[in-house]
Amino acid sequence: MLTCRTCRAGIVERALKPGDELRCRRCGAMVKRGHRVTSLHAAWALSTTGLILLILANVYPVMVFDVAGYTQSNLIITGVIGLAGQGFKAVAVLVFFCAIAAPALYLASVWYVSAACSFGKRWFLVERVAHFAERILPWSLVPVFAIACFVAVVKLDMLGTVTWQVGIVWILLLSICCIFVTRAFDKNFVNDQLRKLR
Amino acid sequence: MTDGTRVDLARALVVSGIILYVPANILPVMTMTVTGDVEPLTVLGGVQELYDSGLWPVAAVVFLASIMVPFLKLACMSWILLLDGTTAYPRQRTVTFRVLHQIGTWSMIDIFLLAVLTAVGQLGVLASVRAEIGGVFFAAVLLCSLFAADVYHPRLIWRAVEVKA
Repeated sequence: MLTCRTCRAGIVERALKPGDELRCRRCGAMVKRGHRVTSLHAAWALSTTGLILLILANVYPVMVFDVAGYTQSNLIITGVIGLAGQGFKAVAVLVFFCAIAAPALYLASVWYVSAACSFGKRWFLVERVAHFAERILPWSLVPVFAIACFVAVVKLDMLGTVTWQVGIVWILLLSICCIFVTRAFDKNFVNDQLRKLR
Repeated sequence: MTDGTRVDLARALVVSGIILYVPANILPVMTMTVTGDVEPLTVLGGVQELYDSGLWPVAAVVFLASIMVPFLKLACMSWILLLDGTTAYPRQRTVTFRVLHQIGTWSMIDIFLLAVLTAVGQLGVLASVRAEIGGVFFAAVLLCSLFAADVYHPRLIWRAVEVKA
């Protein structure tokens, strides 16, 4: 017998195949999802990939804008610097946090926790880090940033010539990677695994 | 934090969000200067410009993400918070809350768009994009609704139901 964390209704537990979901009958909240034992290995591999992609996405220019011979190439951080330079420091901080810092912190904490679980070791503060990953996830907005880049290119095309650079490929791959990391790193499953380590 | 504080805080944040929503949509978010032609743009103005250039799918995405989503989020959060403490529609409230949580972050698209545009558009007189105060209000609306959803938890919807049962 399980208890729904949202409405406290009792739920009969059953064996779940990987990918199956057990939802509460009363409020519809997800109670448990079936996972392969190796799903945290996948989270580990994917978060490693994600961290590499994050570095690439921040190092390579995303687009080059050019008007009458003047060119300007653009990284993710250029937007943050641009906003801060025009006096909008608060908005610049928000963009920096959601597009760079939160994804980095999220991927790094997933990496740490899933590595600990894969090795079966109870590493330093591992529960705290798992909780932190769950808290910071809503702020990690790489896919939204990717869509914003496409809209920006459409707008800039009205003003001058815009050319895509390799950076957008890294941003798109990073978005996809982040989505898969979130799927593999299910908080209920992680908590179960951490409890076993104790 | 006690349950009562959570509800009060969430209510305060939603009310602030609703108040800030007005300047966020009236004041210009950016000014675009193209070869000396200065053009202030509000959020809706930006959508209009995209639509006029025949790119209605892009216009639709921006309209949904930056005007409809914040509005729906504030409206639904008000409904959920007004009914707090009653036993009316608990399941519907829980489902609405969960859907809002998933679509809520898409409204950040406009802030990111502003960042990319201000970064690229720094070619002096030829073409420049300046951020304007509307963007700050817009960001504030997003933060209010994000934190309101963060403070309130669907668990609170079921308190009253449990007492009755």
